[in-house]
Amino acid sequence: MTGRGDAAAAVAVRMLTAITQQDGAGACAALAPDTAAELEQSADKPCVEAILDENLPAPGPVSASHVYGQWAQVRLSGDTVFLAVFPGGWRVVAAGCTARGDRPYDCLLQGG
Amino acid sequence: MKKFLRENSLGLAFGLLFLVVLIGEAVAGHADFNQRQLSEGLQPISFDRYVTSASFAVDVTENWQSEYLQFFLYIYLTVWLLQKGSPESKELHKPGRESDENQMVGAYATDTSPAWAGASGLRHALFSHSLGLVMGAIFLLSWLAQSITGVAAYNEQQLGKLEDPVSWGQYLLEPDFWNRTLQNWQSELLAVTSMVVLSIYLRQRGSSQSKPVGAAHAATGVEG
Repeated sequence: MTGRGDAAAAVAVRMLTAITQQDGAGACAALAPDTAAELEQSADKPCVEAILDENLPAPGPVSASHVYGQWAQVRLSGDTVFLAVFPGGWRVVAAGCTARGDRPYDCLLQGG
Repeated sequence: MKKFLRENSLGLAFGLLFLVVLIGEAVAGHADFNQRQLSEGLQPISFDRYVTSASFAVDVTENWQSEYLQFFLYIYLTVWLLQKGSPESKELHKPGRESDENQMVGAYATDTSPAWAGASGLRHALFSHSLGLVMGAIFLLSWLAQSITGVAAYNEQQLGKLEDPVSWGQYLLEPDFWNRTLQNWQSELLAVTSMVVLSIYLRQRGSSQSKPVGAAHAATGVEG
């Protein structure tokens, strides 16, 4: 993994770890703005509460991370997370994602 | 200085135009990239970041490769192929590599000929094909650069659509690679065909790329 890939993987693991620790604020801090807004709108709750209801898996070992331009994909055992670059660094755009062949990943948590 | 500028004005003008247009492409491409970023809820990127990105590089190299392919083909095919009435063609009785005397090589090299024109063996062979070889090499290198930067730009889009990235080998089979390649090839080939055919019947007074205005339509290999 590259330096940028490591940084993206660290943010993905930090968010999933925060959820397992019931730290909604910590998890939401790692989300992209549109993803947090979409979550609040669909759950009709503040992000810090809604994200704990999303049934995202606990972070497994990181098996790979791919970085291209402004985007990254981090693969963990049992989860795939997509991130993009924001002023504060990498932020999670989609998580809890499952591959669907040639179609886009199906994600439990996803920006609009 | 004035003499130098006048005697090299063609190369200098095109070199300058190239730089101006390349900068214009970078500015417009940066604005376009950031518009898409904002519409997807993402952050705009700096100009420096854009001009070193795969997105900018693939847009530049996909055009470069097709231009050099055009010149490579034109240089080689005009050795053998003719077009009656076109100033772009050789005279109709001269297809092929022509005699050493005509080409001023070997024993026929003159005092003002380049040194390798009078040489024998590999140096002679290389220099006799140097224009086509260099154009062909730049074509292959820029096409390779298009494929390498193209896969990175394509994968950025793939991740943005929540899809898996592809390898370089897979990208060479993707429609994106061939669409970028062929859309440039077709435009270059159309431009060359137009130049070869239109220059039979149309004139541009004073241009080295046109026959003299009063030259017959059937006059071939005559430049103004």
